[in-house]
Amino acid sequence: MENLDYARLQMAFTLGFHIIFACIGMVMPFFMVVAHHKWLKTRNPIYLKLTKAWMKGVAIFFVTGAVSGTALSFELGMLWPEFMKHAGPIFGMPFSLEGAAFFVEAIAFGFYLYGWNKLPEKFHWFTGIIIGVAGVASGILVVSANGWMNAPSGFDYVNGEFINIDPVQALLNPAWFTQALHMTLAAFVATSFGVAGIHAYQIYRGKNIELHTKAFKIAIIFGAIAAFFQPLSGDLSAKDVAERQPVKLAALEAHYVTAKGVPLYIGGIVDEEKRTVSHKIEIPKALSFLAFGDFDAEVKGLNDFPDDELPPVAIVHYAFQIMVGIGTLLMIAGLIFFISLKKKKWQKSKVYWLLFIAMAPLGFIAIEAGWIVTEVGRQPWIIHQIMRTEDAVTPMPGMKYSFFFYLFLYTILVITVTWLMHRQIKTLNKE
Amino acid sequence: MLSVVLFFLFFSLLLYVLLGGADFGAGIVELFTAPSKRNNTREVIYRVIGPIWEANHIWLIILLVILWTAFPGYFYIIVTYLHIPLALVLLGITIRGVAFVFRHYDAVIDQTQFWYNWLFRIGSLLTPIFLGITFGGLVGGRIIISEDYQNLDFYDVFLQPWLNPFSFLMGIFFASICAFLAASFLIGETNGENRKHFSKISAKFTIALVIIGGALFLYGYINNIKFIENFLHNPVSIASVGLSGLLLIPLWKFINNERRLASRFMASLQVFLILFAALYVHFPYLIYTEEKEISLLESTSSASSIENLAITLLIGGLVILPGLFHLMKSFNGIEVYENEK
Repeated sequence: MENLDYARLQMAFTLGFHIIFACIGMVMPFFMVVAHHKWLKTRNPIYLKLTKAWMKGVAIFFVTGAVSGTALSFELGMLWPEFMKHAGPIFGMPFSLEGAAFFVEAIAFGFYLYGWNKLPEKFHWFTGIIIGVAGVASGILVVSANGWMNAPSGFDYVNGEFINIDPVQALLNPAWFTQALHMTLAAFVATSFGVAGIHAYQIYRGKNIELHTKAFKIAIIFGAIAAFFQPLSGDLSAKDVAERQPVKLAALEAHYVTAKGVPLYIGGIVDEEKRTVSHKIEIPKALSFLAFGDFDAEVKGLNDFPDDELPPVAIVHYAFQIMVGIGTLLMIAGLIFFISLKKKKWQKSKVYWLLFIAMAPLGFIAIEAGWIVTEVGRQPWIIHQIMRTEDAVTPMPGMKYSFFFYLFLYTILVITVTWLMHRQIKTLNKE
Repeated sequence: MLSVVLFFLFFSLLLYVLLGGADFGAGIVELFTAPSKRNNTREVIYRVIGPIWEANHIWLIILLVILWTAFPGYFYIIVTYLHIPLALVLLGITIRGVAFVFRHYDAVIDQTQFWYNWLFRIGSLLTPIFLGITFGGLVGGRIIISEDYQNLDFYDVFLQPWLNPFSFLMGIFFASICAFLAASFLIGETNGENRKHFSKISAKFTIALVIIGGALFLYGYINNIKFIENFLHNPVSIASVGLSGLLLIPLWKFINNERRLASRFMASLQVFLILFAALYVHFPYLIYTEEKEISLLESTSSASSIENLAITLLIGGLVILPGLFHLMKSFNGIEVYENEK
């Protein structure tokens, strides 16, 4: 493998790591303030205990997200200096706003963590809300910057020069809304099912059932609602990609030959050499409909694009299948939760809890898959149709060592954080 | 509008050096504290820097975003040629950041605290050293800017700009600035035994700072390092550093008289003067390569990018600074001042 491949691997790995912590760090504060609100209203000490337990979790995830985010903002330049040299001035705005939002979040966090018994109760609670809102704002802004890479706008590209730069238009690029909506919902779905799954496991084991049931209910509601809207947001995204990045759409579906009334492939094994897909399930005309809202619309196939502008098809196709599959599963799981509110006896069944335990990691897998779809699907471009990834990479050799260094460091961090969460729960059950 | 951006660039730099620096310094102070008193120090640090520690480090991100948005050519040189020391800075930031939170939010207190504590202390020492090394690399005059990577040695392009005694001295110098700041700030937060302890530590780090600073200048002067030579030939810079040294006298008076806020202000002013001296003589030429000095203003981005950034920074500043001030006021600093009255 070349330097470029290792640089890409490092970017993918560090982003993939950061995304998990960033999502938890931006969604969990909402669970925390709901529990906190219930404590203020009912004065039931269980809610206070839960709030504080979640707060400790948020602190650990927040700091891991913050330091890995700091590393990422450096990495953008350290790995892709040529990209940042040109892109920095154009899409600087979402980053500078994100810096401000992150600042607000950190300030609110200071108030919240240290404000117990020192600040007026309502103000203290309110700083928790600010943590969540500022976190979500940060997420949206960063995704907007990524949207710009998919839908570059706010400049004219003349003879290799970026001129007439309009940062506001770059911020509000055509992809920002669909991508930000999809990501924000995904963060809520993944974190919510993740947290609910952990509490479901405690209920399943019969530990501290009262507390964990309360925790489960608070956490799952967010995810169940978000999971319901996620397919709609996915549909918007697909239509958007179909319009702006037809090659990415074709790669999602491993669709090689341009045709009208194109079927949707579910599953299948992609042969990139022969350009065929075997063992798939076909839904007639569905791709044409999903992409363009018309059963007979023409969908351009990969064969119609120059070979050196094709992304790796198999990876993108598989990742897309995983993302959509999990999205559907979680929507059904959310539905099951809502039905269980009526049919209380479901909650007595072990299978019910096992189901939610099984769902716990899925949302995060879907998030990773989704980012593979959008990032690998954009290749070979770092700025769609403007700059190639290979032209942006650092001239410094030896990225191999850098990659393995991060792999080592972050693997240890993941193990440590998981172990810390385990200790939090054990302590919570003992008390 | 460029002046607004420049203001925020240096403002963020100053606050990162003062607040982020004091934060690193707190770990260094803990490292150099006798084992019997470390626990005590640890609690003081948690109480004092805990509420604002994350905010302290966001100044670095603001700095970074300003650089790449407004001065992309400059940013390019830093991240390309100083890739390795920056990676080491990031390693340090990661380790000490997570160690600080883990040690205070781990649900179980057991032997793992030993590891958190040591990672925090060592990370706190190494991170500012690497930051200083990076800065030393930037101004040391050894960067080779070339597109001809095939014919150049890895060592010449990516190692020797920062892997040299000058950069290393700069690293130690910055670490001692951090420790000096932290010790001076912490004195105002404690009483009785702790006060005496931090006063002693503060004295030690002040002496270390003066010695290391002297060594840095001497080394630069003997080896004809332009950054230092320019410095020594500029009356304003010399005066600033001299004044910074003289201010040690009022600083010690304030500390002895328990004027906590005044002593903090004095320590900050001293560091500000050192930073000002370094920037005044060189601005806008803040990168020194083998061949020439590169101006910060040489590769500014387009007027529209600068204008947009300036407006964003102004709005962001209006939101953040009152919040930050209120946070500091709520948990320390000014509260102490009020008690004094």
